Amino acid sequence: MKETQRLWLMFPTKLVTRPIIWELGKDFNVVTNIRQASVTEEIGIVSLSLDGEREDIKKAIAWLEKEGVKVEPVEINTIEG
Amino acid sequence: MCDFDFGPLEAAYDYDAIKAAISRDILRSRKRRMWRYRELLPIDGEPTIGTQVGFTPLVRADRLAKKLGVRTLWIKNDTVNYPTLSFKDRVVSVALNRAKELGFTTVACASTGNLANSVAANAASAGLKSYVLIPADLEQGKVLGSLVYGTNVIGIHGAYDQVNRLCSEIAGKYGWGFVNVNLRPYYAEGSKTMGFEICDQLDWRIPRHTVVPMASGSLLTKIHKSYNELIKVGIVDSTPFSVHGAQATGCAPISHAMKRGTDIVKPVPKPETIVKSLAIGTPADGYYAIHAMRDTGGSCEDASDAEVVEGIQWLAEYAGIFAETAGGVTVASAKKLIESGKIPHDEEVVLCITGHGLKTQEAVVGKCGEPRLIKPSLREFEEQIYAKDTAAA
Repeated sequence: MKETQRLWLMFPTKLVTRPIIWELGKDFNVVTNIRQASVTEEIGIVSLSLDGEREDIKKAIAWLEKEGVKVEPVEINTIEG
Repeated sequence: MCDFDFGPLEAAYDYDAIKAAISRDILRSRKRRMWRYRELLPIDGEPTIGTQVGFTPLVRADRLAKKLGVRTLWIKNDTVNYPTLSFKDRVVSVALNRAKELGFTTVACASTGNLANSVAANAASAGLKSYVLIPADLEQGKVLGSLVYGTNVIGIHGAYDQVNRLCSEIAGKYGWGFVNVNLRPYYAEGSKTMGFEICDQLDWRIPRHTVVPMASGSLLTKIHKSYNELIKVGIVDSTPFSVHGAQATGCAPISHAMKRGTDIVKPVPKPETIVKSLAIGTPADGYYAIHAMRDTGGSCEDASDAEVVEGIQWLAEYAGIFAETAGGVTVASAKKLIESGKIPHDEEVVLCITGHGLKTQEAVVGKCGEPRLIKPSLREFEEQIYAKDTAAA
């Protein structure tokens, strides 16, 4: 089943210069669409939509997290005090 | 959520029309509740849920002012907010009124404390079906404050970010009204009522300094917005004001960004603080909070766990108010802001105290002394208590 997920990606310092989103689009069957980005030497923050089959999106997110990227839905802070 | 850049949506108002429709006299003629300012809240009709919420006391605290070394100190005391003793009743009542207007019959939230209690209580009184999602390992004591209202409490195994993602998926798939997900733009606007009330209670003027605890940073941005809105609609004069933020050192992403002089908020992967209600490692409104502080000449401080406990004790001993840990953060951070001169000694400050101490008693258990035990004898009272106290005085 095709779907779209909207995510915030946070890249730690060691990954800031790596073309991770290019790798994601190349190695997984998902369409990447950057909607907002802020990148410094210390951290990268990107809002990204991913289009694809649900299972492909799941695999793509799992890979991002394995590589050290923090992945959150765009509605972050769902859990409040 | 904005479809273009996925940033937060902001409620928009016709300020010219509101300016023509309200005046100080009109506002003052209404009941002393948060709905007194309903034109500046995002609901269409008259509120039917949470009609008793708000208008908590603004307490002048002279003894605490002296202790902190500032001329005038006010406490905006939301520890006595109705019905669940925290400022969350403000945001939840706006979200639930809007949820009803939009046709939602099931409302929900994911929370570890105050928000869950408020959703459960306000939904119960309105007859709305409610679900509260919690991390599976949450202490039972904290769960009871929601269970008692008959809400559906669902414990979820997994890390916080996985729970976050599940909530977004449920909201999208089942059409539930998650107060801080798909109802968030309405929910967040409820925080403005704290700022409206502060100005109202100061006889329609903006305080020179306001110190606000920050988790996502939303409350601070909304208090900033509330002051600006009252200026826009001609209810208060435009006078200089500064909003300052307060965080717990064990989870202080906004404070650290402010101190580094950047607006890039670096997430805190594992918050380590007793201040659970502020322990949000990825604050959604951090960027906006930083700009609100900078734009008004405000600053930011953070407090260690020990300083938080001292803050709770000072607020209790010098102002007679028992606050939860977030209140300790606010007092301890205000102390640092005053000591460093960021809040000058000869000025006025309002501290926003957001929840009751009975909710986080474990933070001060064993730290406030023990009762002195004596036999039921006047002689023993005189020897063990009165004589010692008189000598100590």
